[in-house]
Amino acid sequence: MAEATPVQIFHMEEKRRQYRSGGFFLKVGLLALFVLVPFLFPSFKTVDLAMQIIIFATLVASFDILLGYTGILSFGHGMFFGIGAYCVAFLVGKYGTPSYANLALGFVIAALVASVLALVISFLSLRVKAIFFAMITLALAELAIVLATKLSGFTGGEDGISLNMPGVLAVSFNAGNFLGLEITGRILTYYFILLACLGLFLAMLRFTHSPLGRVLQAIRDNVERAEALGYKTFVFQAISITFGCVVAALVGGLYGMWVGYVNPESCLGVLSIMLAILLMCIIGGMGTLYGGIVGAAFFMITETFLPDLQHLAKDFFPSAVLLHNVLERWHLVLGVLFILVVIFFPKGIIGSVREFIDRRK
Amino acid sequence: MEETILKRWSRELTIAGAIVLFLLPLIGIPGKTYMTLTIAGLAMGMLLFLVASGVSIIFGLMDVLNFAHGALFAWGAYVGFTVFGYLMKWVEADSVLQNFAAFSLAIVAAMVVVSLVGIVLEKVIVRRVYGSHLFQILITFGATIVLVELIRVFWGPNDEVMTVPLTFSKSWDIMDIIINRYRVICIAVGLVVYGVIQLILKKTKLGTIVRAGVEDRDMVQAMGHNIFLLFTGVFAAGAALAALGGLTMSLFSLQVYPDMGGTYLLFAFIVVIIGGLGSVTGSLVGALIVGLTYNYVAYLVPWAAAGANIMIMIIILLIRPTGLFPVGK
Amino acid sequence: MEEERSVNDAILKVEKAHTFIGQHHILQGISFESKADAVTVLIGRNGAGKSTALRTVIGLLPPSEGKIFFKGEEIQKKKPYEIARMGIGFVPENMGIFAGLTVEENMRVAMLVEDEATTQRLERALDMFADLRKFWKGKAGNLSGGQKQMLAIARAIVNDTSLLLIDEPSKGLAPIIVDAVIEAINQIKDHSVVVLVEQNFYMASSVGDYFYIMDDGMVVHGGIMEELVHDEGLKSKYLGISKTGD
Repeated sequence: MAEATPVQIFHMEEKRRQYRSGGFFLKVGLLALFVLVPFLFPSFKTVDLAMQIIIFATLVASFDILLGYTGILSFGHGMFFGIGAYCVAFLVGKYGTPSYANLALGFVIAALVASVLALVISFLSLRVKAIFFAMITLALAELAIVLATKLSGFTGGEDGISLNMPGVLAVSFNAGNFLGLEITGRILTYYFILLACLGLFLAMLRFTHSPLGRVLQAIRDNVERAEALGYKTFVFQAISITFGCVVAALVGGLYGMWVGYVNPESCLGVLSIMLAILLMCIIGGMGTLYGGIVGAAFFMITETFLPDLQHLAKDFFPSAVLLHNVLERWHLVLGVLFILVVIFFPKGIIGSVREFIDRRK
Repeated sequence: MEETILKRWSRELTIAGAIVLFLLPLIGIPGKTYMTLTIAGLAMGMLLFLVASGVSIIFGLMDVLNFAHGALFAWGAYVGFTVFGYLMKWVEADSVLQNFAAFSLAIVAAMVVVSLVGIVLEKVIVRRVYGSHLFQILITFGATIVLVELIRVFWGPNDEVMTVPLTFSKSWDIMDIIINRYRVICIAVGLVVYGVIQLILKKTKLGTIVRAGVEDRDMVQAMGHNIFLLFTGVFAAGAALAALGGLTMSLFSLQVYPDMGGTYLLFAFIVVIIGGLGSVTGSLVGALIVGLTYNYVAYLVPWAAAGANIMIMIIILLIRPTGLFPVGK
Repeated sequence: MEEERSVNDAILKVEKAHTFIGQHHILQGISFESKADAVTVLIGRNGAGKSTALRTVIGLLPPSEGKIFFKGEEIQKKKPYEIARMGIGFVPENMGIFAGLTVEENMRVAMLVEDEATTQRLERALDMFADLRKFWKGKAGNLSGGQKQMLAIARAIVNDTSLLLIDEPSKGLAPIIVDAVIEAINQIKDHSVVVLVEQNFYMASSVGDYFYIMDDGMVVHGGIMEELVHDEGLKSKYLGISKTGD
């Protein structure tokens, strides 16, 4: 075999470093934890929490493809998520019978709709200014909610749509006991979604490390230079945006499978889903993909245990009225945290930790 | 030469086309209803203009897209709500004078309080992220969360009913066309604000400097003008306009609620994209287009009202990406 | 006012200034000074950092290292508007005309105070550039290239400036207009010290008293203009000029 080129050597070394580093074991350990959650903590609350973290971590990573890797801020990511959820819900809920084929078709349609819409939005807004993307996606996201609510004959309106899963994924399915765990349809759905999210996450990692991904980062860092080098920045940005949005739609479909129910507020809401995505991405750290896991975990765990925290505060500090008020208005805390992170730690938790480790070396 | 003639004609053609387009709904709407809808549309357009002009000037001069504008709008409405609460006797009195006194006091209070909030916002938060659109949007979005939550803390999380001053809520009946007085007031407020802004921008030295700054910030600085002071001032003025818009809009829709800014911020974005970011006249024209379209379409095809304006925005983006009144940079 | 300056002091002194634009290290420790009652010309190839040097002085691109003195005072940490108010006028490469404003409004934005002295200076500038008076109420964007340049210079001299930074005034102008600009600068130099960035050697040698040659973000040579005019070796090495007929 011919001698390796410098680029190949670089890649080989990079790979070797990857598998030896502590970060690699952390990632494997994290994956193992998610795999074992149903066995270790079989309560519904914990499994649901783990699932939500997995789903949102993947969703935030797909948002990060746009924000962190392409430098494009979208307020329509929640909308793509919702489109995915609705597409799957139409196929196995409102308009189709629960079958594997319909489920798969739902995901295919979700991806198609998302890619067409993302391309159209990119074409409309990127021609002028990148900030138009934020404005237009915000407008379209609001429009999507209005349409989903008003066109109730088609979308089920405010009441939403219930999903029924086919075969082994159905809630009623039960395969008996395995290592002390009831293998129900829910558990199988959990593993199915975990596997799908892992696949999507690896695809995104691959995407960001591909030559295409590196060009994107060059564009993000310096548009003029990338243009001067002869890259059609618009095309690259559009591809990246479309990829991120398709992943978001697929994740939306998975979310629909898990919660078994979609409605405008829970799937399309700018102030519910979109806000959560943004907070998770910024707090976790943009431009890292892994930031999404940290952000989602932080956000989901605090949201889940917030009521407990409020009770705890009332029990232990009954006189601290301010503390109670602050905990009542949890978004206020998150908002302030968000601003502080943007000002002082623009790289988020992951980015700042990485910087800290690099500096200690 | 030929080109200038063509240009001149294209302007007239555009105006003629616009007039035809806005008479078109007459086909589906009876004449009297059309008049009522037109007045409602103009009133709504004027209120949107108040919000959008702030977004537009702030972007034009400072290159900052202020996502917190909607929250400032809501603050204006709530401050006015509080003032009305204290002056309930005047608001409910059947006296034009007392009604106007309450209305004016509420406007002054809303504009003062919110411009102070705007100054704090600009000095503490926005100033740190000049130059980066991405971080500006993120940080002003963060400010929105905080400001909206603060409304929930100060005024409570529920919708509140806004009382319209008694004499404002009456209507005139001119040849069987019902004209709501408050709508006329809205149109008047909008026109006055447009006139004042134009007067300041065109006739005062400060306004001239602001217009110069919209074109070339660096040059204005290099001429010895303290651009940061200018930024703070314009941000405060934009916030005051948002407050005025919020207060008048809450009297239009008869309610205040913490998230109310989001919807109208959206309208404001559509308006400035149609009109051209940085142009005050563009904001006025864009706002009137949006206001009229919304009312006509809401009458003809109720569920499509929100979509119609977005369609207009998309069409404008396709044929004229920089809006109807682009500002030369 | 102008007479009070001591003759031999450098009114502007740049010491080892480093300036970055983004990650690019543009100025790599340049030093130059501008003597009173003289025109100093920065010459050099495209991308040598001449424009950056002027923008660094006026504060639009603050230096990361090094010092800049104006009338003996350190100014490298000051904001552009503070520096301008100390008496430095700036004409940027693109002229910085406010195209949507009228000629009159352009001048009014430039006038920091509107007192009698300023009005006199305005009259002086308008006498120098008669076209500006002609198009006084017209949009500055409709002016020709030469007229825009004159407006830009007029704006810079309407205040009580003791130093004028002019970036490539000959750029894109017809030769006859260049001559008019040269005449204008020769008039201005009676009132104010001028630092000029110029690629057009004809113009540089017509107005300059002192020169600095810049290359790759550094000053590689400096001296009296007359010497440079006769130094063919230096000219061909840095400026790519071989002996021509003019």
